[in-house]
Amino acid sequence: MKSISHFFSSGTFWDIIGVLYQNMVFVYGTSLLLAYGLLAIMSLISIRRYMKKNGAADINVLVESPLAPGISVIAPAFNESVTIVQNVRSLLTFNYPKFEVIIINDGSTDDTLDKLILEFELEHVDYAFRASLNCMPIQRVFKSTNAAYEKLMVIDKVNGKSKADASNAGINLSSYPYFLCTDVDCILNKDTLLKLIKPFMDEETTKIKEIGHPCEECGFQHIVEDYRRVIASGATLRMVNSCEVDGGLLIRVRPPKKFFPRFQEMEYIRAFVLGKMGWDLINAVPNVSGGLGMFDKEIAVQAGGYDSKSFGEDMDLITRMCGFMKANKRKYAVRYVPETLCWTEGPTTLKVFGRQRSRWARGLAQIMSIHRKILFNPRFGRLGLIVFPYNFFFELLAPLIEFTGILYYIYLIVSGQIMWVYAIILIVFVYTYSVMITTLALLWDQITFKYYKTWGEVIGLCLMAFLEPFLYHPLILFFALKGYFNFVTGRKHVWGNMQRQGFGAQPKKKTEPNPA
Amino acid sequence: MWSNLTNLIYSAYEQFNYLPLFIEIALAFIFIAIFATLIAYGVILFRRWRGYVDEKRMAFIRPRVEEMITEQVLLNENLEKMQVAEIEFEPAALNDKIYKKEWVRQIIIDILIQYRKNFRGEVGELLRKLYLDMNLTKDSYDKMKSLKWERKIKSVVELTQMDVQISDVTILPLTNSTNPALRAAARNAYIQLSKNEPFKFFDIATEPILPWDQLELFKIITTTKDIAIPNFSRWVSYSTNKSVVSFCLKLIAHYDQQSAIPAVLDLLANKDHYFRADAINCLGKLSAEVAEERLIRIYNTQPLACQLEILKALGRIASGKHLEFLKQEFLYSSNFDIRMNAARSIIKHNTPGSRALIDELKEITHEENRLIISHCQNPLIKY
Amino acid sequence: MTSILIIEDDDIMLKAIRNILTKAGYNVLTAKDGKEAFDKIDNEQYDIVITDLMMPYANGLEVVSRVRSDSRKRHVSIIVVSSVGNEETITEAFRLGADDYLKKPIMAGELLIRIKKLIESRSHTSAKLVTKKK
Repeated sequence: MKSISHFFSSGTFWDIIGVLYQNMVFVYGTSLLLAYGLLAIMSLISIRRYMKKNGAADINVLVESPLAPGISVIAPAFNESVTIVQNVRSLLTFNYPKFEVIIINDGSTDDTLDKLILEFELEHVDYAFRASLNCMPIQRVFKSTNAAYEKLMVIDKVNGKSKADASNAGINLSSYPYFLCTDVDCILNKDTLLKLIKPFMDEETTKIKEIGHPCEECGFQHIVEDYRRVIASGATLRMVNSCEVDGGLLIRVRPPKKFFPRFQEMEYIRAFVLGKMGWDLINAVPNVSGGLGMFDKEIAVQAGGYDSKSFGEDMDLITRMCGFMKANKRKYAVRYVPETLCWTEGPTTLKVFGRQRSRWARGLAQIMSIHRKILFNPRFGRLGLIVFPYNFFFELLAPLIEFTGILYYIYLIVSGQIMWVYAIILIVFVYTYSVMITTLALLWDQITFKYYKTWGEVIGLCLMAFLEPFLYHPLILFFALKGYFNFVTGRKHVWGNMQRQGFGAQPKKKTEPNPA
Repeated sequence: MWSNLTNLIYSAYEQFNYLPLFIEIALAFIFIAIFATLIAYGVILFRRWRGYVDEKRMAFIRPRVEEMITEQVLLNENLEKMQVAEIEFEPAALNDKIYKKEWVRQIIIDILIQYRKNFRGEVGELLRKLYLDMNLTKDSYDKMKSLKWERKIKSVVELTQMDVQISDVTILPLTNSTNPALRAAARNAYIQLSKNEPFKFFDIATEPILPWDQLELFKIITTTKDIAIPNFSRWVSYSTNKSVVSFCLKLIAHYDQQSAIPAVLDLLANKDHYFRADAINCLGKLSAEVAEERLIRIYNTQPLACQLEILKALGRIASGKHLEFLKQEFLYSSNFDIRMNAARSIIKHNTPGSRALIDELKEITHEENRLIISHCQNPLIKY
Repeated sequence: MTSILIIEDDDIMLKAIRNILTKAGYNVLTAKDGKEAFDKIDNEQYDIVITDLMMPYANGLEVVSRVRSDSRKRHVSIIVVSSVGNEETITEAFRLGADDYLKKPIMAGELLIRIKKLIESRSHTSAKLVTKKK
């Protein structure tokens, strides 16, 4: 007994814990950085592959073709009175032969709906539909009496306090086999539909079953046996904040001038170009952003559509769609396009920014806990062995480990145990490495398209990478932790008081797309 | 001086060796990261600079080329007066020294292709003649020799767009290339340019035709002039490649090949129900009245996708003989989509009988079905 | 002199048609997107509109319906020129009041003949109206 108490009091125990912790953090940190490096390489390969493949193809074949599949564009709107007319007008001018635009007026309290009715000569119609997904009641459906707007449909529904609910309503009423989910205030490229539908149509069939022996069942050779069904596709998003926009059309692209949007632009480019494109190479894209994504309707509906209680409904949907495909033993792919097709408004104030980040963090925690069965489950293939472990260790745990790391550092400094030389070397290591990763992301981004007009703008954005670790990153860390805290306490709250069911979906204006 | 420096490096190396492993790794990575960042900056700046130069060059050369094409082709005085083959261009306009440079020639080809996409007829022919007279064919052929598949595709696409013959020896091996993009481009070229048997590759296609390739093929088949359209039922009956058969079904519907109906009917016995649905769809588009009886007979044993297609087909054929069947489905099916399609097909008949039936149904049916009817009757709603 | 308004977002096509029509002796106005088109439709004088279907700001169908809803533009003929081969879109354009539809790639000669015919038939009907009034 004496020896044990001695063991504790002498500090040997805590030393061992300290060493263990140090080693663990080092291994964790190194593998995180290696993962980033690997992603950078993978994304370069997949961007180059995309460029080669699409350099020769003439996307306009689709425009002329009667075989072009139909696409429903679904855009929820809540109190968008000022810009709604222009934005809808812009949505109606896609380069695509067969699409419809479904605007969901999600119980706006201003004159959004009146403006639409007046401008587009809308008329109330009796609309029969099957509610295959859950959503709040739909009050009225409008179509235009002017044939020039025949592609437009406006739905007036009771506010469901979430974008997910509104999107579900749109999916219920959509009539085409694919749907594009976006926000009504996003500025979209005219070729968005062409570029996002293409991955659904040219997914390569890798292996071919033995040919020459027609199948006993159907009499045909199953040459498409290894066909992967593409269930969703997405593209890069950027900030519209400092761009010149005229009538829903982008005139000149510029990196944002304000603090938050500027860092976000950089962060989005890194998350999309480096992250998503890297994952695309090994068919392990974790998420299609809520700001812009195209989905196979059949699979999305069978997977249950959007979950209006989720804080990260976009990732939740993709996870369930992938899970559904795996459970039915069908091969699938989620594809990403390295071009920016959507420009969205980023939050400019600390308050809104913080709320957004806390919600994302909470959404991630929620998804990880709801779908915890998938983690490390070989039955879910890549989803269970790559996507989920990566998200679990390097997205969900990262803020926690970083936070404890900082605390430990402070402890070492206070107790005077720190080796200053080593500590500084390690910090410089992490710092230079993160600057390198961000710079590479911006370089890859420039491969696909010369986004900004002057080199000054590009370099100006690159230099943000040097400031990020000091200014932007601490804020992200803080709000992520806050989000986890909300997740833990929020759930208890719901359990403690079942009457407060609305708590799970706090009133929020809309959900910004999550690049992570 | 030198020895001092070498001493310094040596001692630094000595010290480096005494550091713990993880610090050594960290130091190494610091150097790699700084190096990579600097290179990235260099590449970004270089690419920006090159892009800038390209833009300048384009801004300079494009208007000149466009003007030349406008003068020589679009506004050519001889266009209405004589045969395209006899029109001669002004040698001075074509022999500008700058048109000898390779990058300029590439720009000319690209612009010519753009014009060809907008103009056919005599203007289109004359654009082609300009391409031949400027000997741009050689530039396109040269790309074929490249080892890079994307260059080969560019070559094939340029030659096809300009309607220039590629020898079978060159193009046939490419139709079996392991690269899908190249394979598709070669296939398209073969169909468009092969004069005797453009559809031969349907017989030998072992790889699936992706939906994207189908788009391109469809466009080429339907827009190339002087192409002999065969009876596609041949492949419906004999091909064992599913994608070929389902593509042929689309072509049969497009060309309204009534003679193919028996071959398509045979597909109704197929075990794959997506495939059956395609066949039923095709029968509907052909307005194959002979198929109606059979479709109704098999209706009850079919999965939903096929049932819906059968209902749609009955609406397209609209013989009026099976209104009673549609009425029963509309009134008694529990499935929303079936009722919707049944109602739509009844309305599509648009005969006095069907209109009377709709009025009758409105009287006897329940609220939701009445909504379905008014949905389908509304001209503002397309689907 | 007959004035023609060309609405087309493809620069090459716009210039090409403009050149061909100018040479054929027409007075030509151009607009390269929906916004410019709306501006010119309302404020300029023209007898024939040649419009594309897919372009920024507004689609060609809107252009057709805008011209047709303006009582001062009764005499205007509309030709739709587009690469869209989709049957529904074509019928929709005619239903809204387009007089002719040409699918890209077009034949320059054909375009000229169709313009000529439209002018002739219009002058026919307006001549009839004039005689009736007398």
